[in-house]
Amino acid sequence: MGLIPSFIERKDVAESSDSIQISAIFEIEGRTLALLSDIEKKRTILSTVPSKLSEEADILLKSEEKTGAQINLDTGSKVEGYGVFSFSYGPVSAGVTEAGGFKLITYGERIVKVVPQINFKKRGVEHKAIGMKPEDALLLVERSAGNFSASYSTCFVTTIENILGLQVSSRSRWMRAVAIELERIYNHLHVFARLSETATQNVAAAEANVLKERVLRINAKYFGHRYLFGFNRIGSVYQNHFTKDRRKDLVNDIKNITRDFSHLVTYFLSSRIFLDRLQNTARLPHLDALKLGAVGPSARASAIDWDDRITYPIEPYNDIFVEIETEDEEDTMSRTMVRIREIQSSMLMLEQLLDRMPSDETMSDKTSDNGLNYMQDNFSFCRIESPSGDLIQVVQLDKEGYIKFLHIRPPSLVNWLPFAKSLEGNVFTDFQFAYESFGLSYADSDR
Amino acid sequence: MVKFWILHGIKNGILTTKYPKKKPTEEEIPARSVPPFAAPESNWIQGQETCPTDAIENNTNSLDLGRCIYCRRCSDAGFIFDDNPEDRHKSLQAKISQNELIRKEVAGIFSKKTNIFRKSFHILMIDVGSCNACNLEVLNLSNPYYDLTRLGIFFTNSPKHADVLVVVGALNKAMVDVLKQTYDSMPEPKLVISIGACAISGGIFKETESFVSSIDKVIPVDVTVPGCPPSPIQILQGLLLCMNKIEKDERIPGSKGGL
Ligand code: SF4
Ligand code: SF4
Repeated sequence: MGLIPSFIERKDVAESSDSIQISAIFEIEGRTLALLSDIEKKRTILSTVPSKLSEEADILLKSEEKTGAQINLDTGSKVEGYGVFSFSYGPVSAGVTEAGGFKLITYGERIVKVVPQINFKKRGVEHKAIGMKPEDALLLVERSAGNFSASYSTCFVTTIENILGLQVSSRSRWMRAVAIELERIYNHLHVFARLSETATQNVAAAEANVLKERVLRINAKYFGHRYLFGFNRIGSVYQNHFTKDRRKDLVNDIKNITRDFSHLVTYFLSSRIFLDRLQNTARLPHLDALKLGAVGPSARASAIDWDDRITYPIEPYNDIFVEIETEDEEDTMSRTMVRIREIQSSMLMLEQLLDRMPSDETMSDKTSDNGLNYMQDNFSFCRIESPSGDLIQVVQLDKEGYIKFLHIRPPSLVNWLPFAKSLEGNVFTDFQFAYESFGLSYADSDR
Repeated sequence: MVKFWILHGIKNGILTTKYPKKKPTEEEIPARSVPPFAAPESNWIQGQETCPTDAIENNTNSLDLGRCIYCRRCSDAGFIFDDNPEDRHKSLQAKISQNELIRKEVAGIFSKKTNIFRKSFHILMIDVGSCNACNLEVLNLSNPYYDLTRLGIFFTNSPKHADVLVVVGALNKAMVDVLKQTYDSMPEPKLVISIGACAISGGIFKETESFVSSIDKVIPVDVTVPGCPPSPIQILQGLLLCMNKIEKDERIPGSKGGL
């Protein structure tokens, strides 16, 4: 066993609980292992699989591998009776722009239960990657979820680098963080724009869309691609020629966006109609969020203190100032506020990152700070805070360096059940608000 | 507050692109939306081996844009991209022809002179297995930078109202019937555009388990817009082509400002 960084613990946990959640389960060399998140101690635990699994964990694990068949994420009791009406929505539907569906069970105006239907577009990336060279698999992985591409590719290359014990320049790692933060900003702006559209706040929607387009153009200008495809390489990044002037330009571009965004937020917070629509809509109580294992901004809006940038701080997040943004109102408004504050903190983070970017010669520490390396089994994992939450990838290489095993635990997959839970008891018109505020993506959960 | 936004609007000026009156700017067609346009003959084989999607075809000097995912791997094998002026010079000695970008004209009942869609054009997007980036680029067309409505193009949510079906993504087993049903329930006359490498050829996902075939094997496709994802301006070009507002020749394959 290689060195273990301080935020990972290796111990066997007998039973998962509310504060120790199961985040991923995978099989390596015939042994089934689990990654657990210790919410209180803020640590990742690598363990054998706890004997008792919750129903929710079970349903997600069983549904992992299938392709070409839809899966109903159905938990809990059956709802039947006079006046209870059930209908399906999707896979081609207004409002949801992707291929995916829901079964809605309603009683009058009220939604009694929501059953998300996923896997309409399962592409089987994990299966396809087996036997591929890591460089080739990278193309597949970064196209699993286009709008989280920087998180996906960074997670993948970091894992491969850990396994191979590659020396990577600090500059490369910092550039990856720049990309991830830009990605977070445009995704949050997208959510904000969609929410405004749903509330027919057209000025706010147009302004948010303009800001989003500006960030996408920044991506194109500095990274070559609007959705940040293809900038990550194993062991380095393509954009290593970030001169001081270029960095200054980028900081200026970001400062302009920051200024315009603060105007937009002022407008947003002064619009009573908008706020009324979001407050008290689709509550996800703290305990449910814990039990169902919600991640990302949606979990943080229910006062769960977990952000991989702090709880799994690979370089450069161990070196810059990051703050976890939490709220405790548990509703759509809190989720929106968490996202707004994360846009602002990401912008500050970008300024720090670009200001203090190390020179190209500085090599970053090998594995001790960036994840662990099980030499004897050739496998490693990494966690990255993607815009919608905690993304986990586990990779194993064979002796020749080809991929032997790949497991992706996307953030959207675990957020479907919390989303469904939050809608219980709400009226039908709240549906769209809840869907947008969770930032769910079918492409992500179907990979 | 209202006053503020009016002033804000005046200060920012007009953001909307000048396209199609003027050529798209460099900012609107980012570097990675432009395919390689030339390669020395000695490098063909090497390029063919590097290309992850077989876009560079066997022993011929042709490049199938419908397969290219714009990953730029072939630049290591000596393929030349347009964004470097020195490369442009090299291209004088290099030869590479490209496959037709638009594989089909607006076909069937539409003769070239039909102006039926010139005034108002309703589009319906259907996702059959994309990575979400293509979806977002299509949706981005409605933001003030591209402002579809100024051209008489509108999004619709019902196949019954749609004139054109915009298909994104690699056709998944689970979506074949849905795609056919949606197409069948659209009223005549109707058009289909497939957007992105995934829809045109399967792109990077063409060897995955659940991939069925390219869209044109299932429903007739009129216009294709290559890219991974194509930028909104390129999608707009495809739409304008359907509306017969631009000529096919205006889309110069591989050059800047073209597709
Ligand atoms: S850019 Fe990539 S996909 Fe396109 S021809 Fe070159 S290697 Fe092939
Ligand atoms: S063409 Fe590229 S961007 Fe579009 S859906 Fe396919 S992989 Fe995603």
